[in-house]
Amino acid sequence: MATMIEENGPSTHVQSEVSSSSHARQKLEGLLNKNMRIRMTDGRTLVGLFLCTDRDCNVILGSAQEFLKSTDTFSQGEPRVLGLAMIPGHHVVSIEVEADSLEDTQGFGATH
Amino acid sequence: MVMKSAVEDDDAGWGLGIPEKMKNNANWVDITHEFKGACKELNLGELLHDKLFGLFEAMSAIEMMDPKMDAGMIGNQVNRKVLNFEQAIKEGAIKVKDLSLPELIGIIDTCFCCLITWLEGHSLAQTVFTCLYVHNPDLIEEPALKSFALGILKVCDIAREKVNKAAVFEEEDFQAMTYGFKMANNVTDLRVTGMLKDVEDELQRKVKSTRSRQGEQRNPEVELEHQQCLALFNRIKFTRLLLTALITFTKKETSSVCEAQKLVAQAADLLSAIHSSIQHGIQSQNDTTKGDHPIMMGFEPLVNQRLLPPTFPRYAKIIKREDMVAYFGKLIERIKTVCDVINTTNLHGILDFFCEFSEQSPCVLSRSLLQTTFLIDNKKVFGTHLMQDMIKDALRYFVTLFWTVCADVICILCCLFNNHQAKDYIDSFVTHCSRPFCSLIQIHGHNRARQRDKLGHILEEFATLQDEAEKVDAALHSLLMKLEPQRQHLACLGTWILYHNLRIMIQYLLSGFELELYSMHEYYYIYWYLSEFLYAWLMSTLSRADSSQMAEERILEEQLKGRSSKKTKKKKKVRPLSKEITMSQAYQNMCAGMYKTMVALDMDGKVRKPQFELDSEQVRYEHRFAPFNSVVTPPPVHYIQFKEMSDLKKYNPPPGSADLYMAASKHFQQAKLILENVPSPDPEVNRILKVAKPNIVVMKLLAGGHKKETKVLPEFDFSAHKYFPVVKII
Repeated sequence: MATMIEENGPSTHVQSEVSSSSHARQKLEGLLNKNMRIRMTDGRTLVGLFLCTDRDCNVILGSAQEFLKSTDTFSQGEPRVLGLAMIPGHHVVSIEVEADSLEDTQGFGATH
Repeated sequence: MVMKSAVEDDDAGWGLGIPEKMKNNANWVDITHEFKGACKELNLGELLHDKLFGLFEAMSAIEMMDPKMDAGMIGNQVNRKVLNFEQAIKEGAIKVKDLSLPELIGIIDTCFCCLITWLEGHSLAQTVFTCLYVHNPDLIEEPALKSFALGILKVCDIAREKVNKAAVFEEEDFQAMTYGFKMANNVTDLRVTGMLKDVEDELQRKVKSTRSRQGEQRNPEVELEHQQCLALFNRIKFTRLLLTALITFTKKETSSVCEAQKLVAQAADLLSAIHSSIQHGIQSQNDTTKGDHPIMMGFEPLVNQRLLPPTFPRYAKIIKREDMVAYFGKLIERIKTVCDVINTTNLHGILDFFCEFSEQSPCVLSRSLLQTTFLIDNKKVFGTHLMQDMIKDALRYFVTLFWTVCADVICILCCLFNNHQAKDYIDSFVTHCSRPFCSLIQIHGHNRARQRDKLGHILEEFATLQDEAEKVDAALHSLLMKLEPQRQHLACLGTWILYHNLRIMIQYLLSGFELELYSMHEYYYIYWYLSEFLYAWLMSTLSRADSSQMAEERILEEQLKGRSSKKTKKKKKVRPLSKEITMSQAYQNMCAGMYKTMVALDMDGKVRKPQFELDSEQVRYEHRFAPFNSVVTPPPVHYIQFKEMSDLKKYNPPPGSADLYMAASKHFQQAKLILENVPSPDPEVNRILKVAKPNIVVMKLLAGGHKKETKVLPEFDFSAHKYFPVVKII
């Protein structure tokens, strides 16, 4: 968390980039409080509500549950409850959301 | 097997609540690329979040992939399969029958180590339940191992129950959570001890059959088997004795405590044999240098990793087998001491017993056993008499001892106790005493660091009690005036409470030295408060009591002489307070010596003082003595008063540092003299002497100007005594 807090200084807006960055911001805001599935570099998957992110793609999930990698036979499928969890951006491998949550979020998924 | 961890729900509501959509039927769409792209558009330091979610909430998130916070990480990095008991049996990774003797010995020893690690404050999931066998003893076919697994579970269960009931633990002492593990509740205690006994008998037969016979050529293999059988026999017997002792403690009769004492003594006799046979057990296999846990057959340190709450210590370091025997030895010694409590019947003796026991910093189990032995189910002392009666006895004892001047006690006891109004007053007072005194005793069951905090708080309760005591004293006085106008009732109840107040206050201040809370520049006012104020009050209370007691004895003696023609046999009465008076004098002199030493060192610039920026000495002083503000008698000494009272300018001429060193040396000398005259010195006396003697010399040297110019700060060595340091000039 330290990095996010330290960098939470006064944000400086660069006038020329306002349009593209505001679009991106809109896209991300549309995802807030949606279910999100994040795969981490060590193979674990976290599922939880998307609550917060920043420029380095650090993501905070609420009510997060941890699923082990599928090769693990022990307690496979049985999630462990983590609660509020922050995944550092450099450990994020993939991000998924549920299809129906994209319906009201334009610009995501549509291109793919 | 129920395996659910209890995780507290987050206040903000971001915590739990498992969404229904979690099931795999949801249609997930990958947005990694777009998401990362969109993130890059954000400004440096900008957080994109819901308006209900702020930085404050973000702070409480655990950070994934941080080894300090992410408990799931470790299990994921180990390159082996983590199997639970059933899986391990199915894969053949674990034996449930035909275990060799070395295997059994190794498993049992490791289990003992786990048990101790648990008792030292780690969670069950990371200690005892890393042993797969205890997860489900029903699946074990080997009788020795099965009975042992059940025995260990019972030991844990009873220990947990005792500790919970006594309620003298904090999170740092003990983890009471069982994570839903079954503690062999489907089998009775009697059945388990019976099973252990059966195994024991069977092993004893084997031990006998492999024993060397006279004139027989010894086969080394048979000899080894004999040794191993004996090793296993001792371990099983030890488990049974420990379990039986704990079961005995749960019985309500006082006699059972003696029985428990005998049982643990028998268990202690087995320890040296267990220690010398540790090498017979199998050791853990893999090398631990790669950061992995040591792996023993039957143990899986990571089996419960998923049960742990999100943030939890990564893993408990299980103690070594060699240390296990020593720990059991000490534990048994402590339990034996606990059993002695039943020989003390008066309240003051009990309080002293609890204080003394606590000074060894005993473990949570022995502390809890002491509590539950003393107050069974929190109502009756030793399960037989009421706390109120004990207080009344203590009061009567104290009153007859202390406040017999004018014979008003005899009056109280004879006339007033028959006067039902007076009796009502005293009864209700005694009833009100019962709770604070129970709490006081309970406080002494907590660990040393927590005790201090709680002592500070209980002063409030004693202040209320003192208020009531004074009212009752006044009422008794007016009653007495009506009955016998010549006599007056002294404030005996109030003084009795005052005596306890002073003891608590002294203990509160002294424990700060033990816990290393004070810095050097604070010593002088702490020692001042103790020597000039608290000990002075305590001494005047005690010596007044002592002299009045002697006067009373004289009166009684004369009365007896007058009545009977027979000469009463002259017997030397022991003055029960003389020891306490002597010790208080010694303590007071030690404190006074330390106070003067600190002032003199300060004059010579040998005390480092902090740069007071945001606080001042007054702030610190007031913080140190803050709990005393709730006490009415003795009244708290405020900082300004302290400064006035300790001002050296009031002397003419004001003393210099050499004079103060000299005075300090005299105080230490005085303490030494007092202590050397104690008839049968206990260890405490010798400990204080060990500080007093070198300090006399050092103070004399300092008074003579030794190393006056050195800029090196003196050292304070608390190794000889926890409250008084040996001053070292380097």
